[in-house]
Order: sequence, then C-alpha cells, then structure tokens
Amino acid sequence: MSLIESLLEPEQDDLIMDAGATREIRRAILTAIAVPGYQVPFGSREMPVARGWGSGGLQVTMALIGSDDVVKVIDQGDDEGVNAVNLRRLITRASGAVETTEVSEATIVQTRHRVPEGGLEVGQILVLQVPEPEPLRGVERDVRELERMHAEADYSRMWVSLYEDRVRNGVITRTTGYPCMVGGRYVISTTPIPRWDVPLLHRSPFLSIFGAGRAKRIYAIPPDTDVEPMTFEDVPFEVEENRGAVCRRCGSDRSFLVATPSSTDGVDLWACSDTSWCNRRSGIDSP
Amino acid sequence: MGYAAARGGLRAIRAAERLVRRLRRRSTSDDLTTDQIIDHFGLLVDRVMGEGGVWDPVMAASALRQAGGDPIEASHLMRSKRSTLSVLGIALADADDLRVLRRVVPAYRKPPGPQLLGASTDYTGRILERVVPREGLVDMAEPAGDRRDPPSDRSPTRLLEVLRQADLVVDRRRTDDPDPVDITRVAARPPAPRSARLSAMARAETGALVNQWYRNILGPDGYLHEITLGEVRHGWLDVAIAHPTSGRPVKVTGVRVTEVEAIEDLDGIDEDRGRLDVGYGLCLGHNEKKSIAMANLDIACHRDAGRSQLEQSLLLTTDGLEATGFLEHLKLPHYVTFRSIVERKAAVRAARTDR
Repeated sequence: MSLIESLLEPEQDDLIMDAGATREIRRAILTAIAVPGYQVPFGSREMPVARGWGSGGLQVTMALIGSDDVVKVIDQGDDEGVNAVNLRRLITRASGAVETTEVSEATIVQTRHRVPEGGLEVGQILVLQVPEPEPLRGVERDVRELERMHAEADYSRMWVSLYEDRVRNGVITRTTGYPCMVGGRYVISTTPIPRWDVPLLHRSPFLSIFGAGRAKRIYAIPPDTDVEPMTFEDVPFEVEENRGAVCRRCGSDRSFLVATPSSTDGVDLWACSDTSWCNRRSGIDSP
Repeated sequence: MGYAAARGGLRAIRAAERLVRRLRRRSTSDDLTTDQIIDHFGLLVDRVMGEGGVWDPVMAASALRQAGGDPIEASHLMRSKRSTLSVLGIALADADDLRVLRRVVPAYRKPPGPQLLGASTDYTGRILERVVPREGLVDMAEPAGDRRDPPSDRSPTRLLEVLRQADLVVDRRRTDDPDPVDITRVAARPPAPRSARLSAMARAETGALVNQWYRNILGPDGYLHEITLGEVRHGWLDVAIAHPTSGRPVKVTGVRVTEVEAIEDLDGIDEDRGRLDVGYGLCLGHNEKKSIAMANLDIACHRDAGRSQLEQSLLLTTDGLEATGFLEHLKLPHYVTFRSIVERKAAVRAARTDR
C-alpha cells in the first residue's frame, strides 16, 4: 500500500462530499444568515448532478442534513418530478434521512422553482436551487461593477429598468425571479420562483437558503426578515393572476396553477403546481 | 410527472437507466478494458484528466467508458469523485525539473538544448488509415541509418532563461504571491491573482479555451496579439508532498504535463518597447492546443490589465462542466416559469387595450 493509499479514508460509494466541504459550506451559510441577502462566495464542489441541475441546493442540503432529518424534495412544486426524484434518492442514500412528501413533516425542503403553497413553519428550512443568483445581470454584465453596485447598494439602474418597463409596456413584465430588497439592504434574485411565491418569503417564520452551485454563491433570508419586491408606490406588485381558472382536481383558485393546453378545443386545463398540497385538499393520500 | 401514479418519476428514471445499459449490452464486441482505453485513446484520457483536474489515468479511463466517450461527462465523473476525497497535502512541483519527451522551440533554429519532435503527427499527412496499424504497414523497427543517440539533455534550459540573460524580457517575477489560489476552494472572480487565472485555464474545457483564443483573434470583441512560441514541452514532472512528520518533500508520483512559453512582442504605448514579455501555459497530460491557447491568453490578460472583460471570460466562461451543465439544464421541466411568462403576455395585452 502506498503512502497516499494508507492515508485515505475507505471509499464509500454513496458519499457526496468530504467533511471539509461540509464545514466550509456551513460557515458560508452562517455568514449568509448573518448578512441577509448578501451573496456569500464559497468553493462550490462538483456534485453527482450537473451544474444548473441543483448542485448548489444539493450542497446546502448535504451540509445541513443528518440521519434524523426528514426531507422533502420538489421540482416545479411536484414531488414526482424526475429531477426531484433523482436528488431525493441521492440525498437520502448519502445522509440516511427519511423522505416525505408532506411539507409539515419535513425538517428540510429542497426545491426548484416553487415555495410550497402556504409556506413553511417555524424551525423548518427551505433550500432553493438557484440557476443564476445575480439579480442585476440584466442591467450590468461586468462582475466587478456588479460587486460595486451591491457594496454601495447602488440599485439605481434596476429602478430605471423597472420604470422603463412600466412606461413602455403598461405593466412590469418581469416574470419569475422577481428582484426583491432583503432586510432593506441587498437586492436578491428570488430564483425563478413565480411572483406568486414572493409574499411567502416576507417576514416568514422559516429560514430560506439559496444555493447557486455554478455561480458559487449562497445567500439567505432568515426568519422575520423583510422581503420587499422592487416596485413603485403607485404601481402595486402583481402576482400571477388566475383569471377565473380553477384547479381541475381540488377546485382551488387560490394557489399557483399551471396549464395543460387542450389539443381538442384549445381551452387550457388548470391544476395546482404544488401536487402534495393539492392531494391533501382533494382528500388523496400522498404517495 | 404531473398526476401519474405514485412514484412515477422514479419508475421513468429506472427505465431510462435500464435502457442505457441494454443498448451497451446489445453490442457483440468485447468490453473495452481500462488498459485499452489508456493505450489507444491516450490523448482523450489526458484531456479528461486535465479538465477533470485529477491525475489518475485508470480513473479517467473508467470515467470515459462509463460516459460513452463523452469527455465532459467523463470529467464530471472525475470531479464529483474528487469532491468526496479529503485534501491530504499540497503538491510541490518545479516545472524546471520537467523531463521532456518532446520539445519544440519555434523561436530559434538551434536553441540551447535539443529540438525534439517526439511522438507527434504534426508533420504527417492526414490520410485516413482503414486498417488496424498493427496488421498493416507500420514497421515499428527504426531503420539503421536513422538511429541517433537519444538526446542527453532531457531538462534543457528554458528559452525564457536565455532571453533573460540577454536582457530581452520584462522581469515581473514576484515573491508576494507564493501559494497558488486553489480554485476548487475559492470562487475566483476578477480581479483575481494570476495563479487563479492559470488554474482556471488549466482545468478549462479544451474547445472552450481554443474558441476563447480564436474569438479574440477574429471575433467582434477584444484584440489578441499572436505570440511567438518559445517553448512547447511535453514530459514528466515529479510531484512531491511535504512529509507529515519531517516536513521534507517526498516524491509521491509523477505526472505528464504540457508546458508552453509564449513570447509577446510588446507594442503598447505604455509598454517597454525595448523588451519582450512571456505568457505561460501548463496543463495535465499531452494537450498542446490547450496549453498554447492558455499561454497566449495569459499574456493577453496581463496586458489587458482589466480594461476589457477578458479576465471575466477566462474565469467564468471556460469551464466545461459549468457551461454544459447550465446549457443542458434547459431540458429540465420549466412549466412554472413558462406559466409566469405567458401570464405576463396576457397582462401586457390587457394593458394595451386599456390605453
């Protein structure tokens, strides 16, 4: 046995990252909680999933999770989304944690593109997968200038961009990942969660941690923190409107609905994107 | 997805995995052994070790087999394996000790030390061979008249040293940056130390770096000065780590690297017009395309001095895993974001009719 081999830990197939990475990511998370909305750089490790496929969320979850945790993983609000399934089996295999689809049972909820309807409770942690953490990318490309803008809280160009949008189009046309001021200091990108979910983050009882693996950034919204969508005094923030649509399963018109276009009569069929919430309302046991 | 039966997602994934295995099993040819991959696809194995940032030919060959020959996928397998390993020590290596298998000095006809063509097809006509070489015409024996003594000087003085002695290069050696930035532990962003840029380029996807170079030669942004190559070297480099108790360097392994010096003709108004400058490239394995692009981009980035966004391009856009992972994530379900996009289209139309 060579010197190197004798020093190495025995190999484990289900290991995702070493203890040094766990410690480093926990430190980054603590910094992110201490400075709400600030994008903390970290030495993002390569994960068994590709960049852009939840490698940031996976690192955050793996740094926090233990065998006594209960984890829920959703993609587009759906526990059965293929990427959610893949991440869930990696997480449970590596950590020994128990899986659930019930949000109330979970200690950690890892998600892509949605906050569970109604949000989470005190003590629960929401881990969001972030493809692009920089909210100002649309108004500035140079990362040195972006750093200055955040450092000086210089969000003037973002305000101008929103103003021009409103003047040209009659409404603010931003769709998901709506820029929000966190704790009155840093503007964040709310990942691509719909505007519908943004109010759930405002003074929420739960902790939200945003992990961007490719961009190597972690940021957080601690409980009871102000999360204010950037908008004008006379232009109210608009969430997605259901415009009379109701979920064809549970009948809800007070949840984020996604459309299934009908090929026969051209009329969309609507259903809740949060499948576990919808199952509960319609009296179906979650799988 | 959607409202399919319980655990529908998992069933679909398992079926997809079975299909991949079945397609491979359908082949009647023998499985490729690790040795075969290392011996016959050496340049591919080298490329994967470089882009994966791990020197381990056996691991790289296994990764290539698992990835069906896709080098970026294989690099991903290497790097996610690397994430599970603890850092035991920092490798020590001195590129002056490189023992060359190949060395080309285009800047001089007869440089100090040998011009050593080594194993290269640079001057071989690109004519497709349809026969397996071993069965064909290749005579492995050297004709008697061609035999020369192998060059005794396998660690020749580098050209940069010769130019320094002639006082022809700007001296920008420094001692205030002794430890290279470990880009696997630090998120390097501009302005970053040179070592971070070099590390990022050494791990960059080969095609991305070549394109970065060519884009700056012919593309719409940036202007890159073509260099004269001083050194193109391929050879073995000893790697040592500090002994855990004595602290003395102990040789633990050897790696093959490609090293390039790129000589720049300084022609800027604020530059020393009486001297040259040199860019540096080094990557794991035999990969001359990458090292040459790297050396030229290194000096270009130094001369640019933050005026353009070249450094941002090098640090943030050349990694193969980052670029392809993000590209391919577009295949993931996006029906929540798309619903939000369509909703705003309706909102804009409604606002139009109101006006």
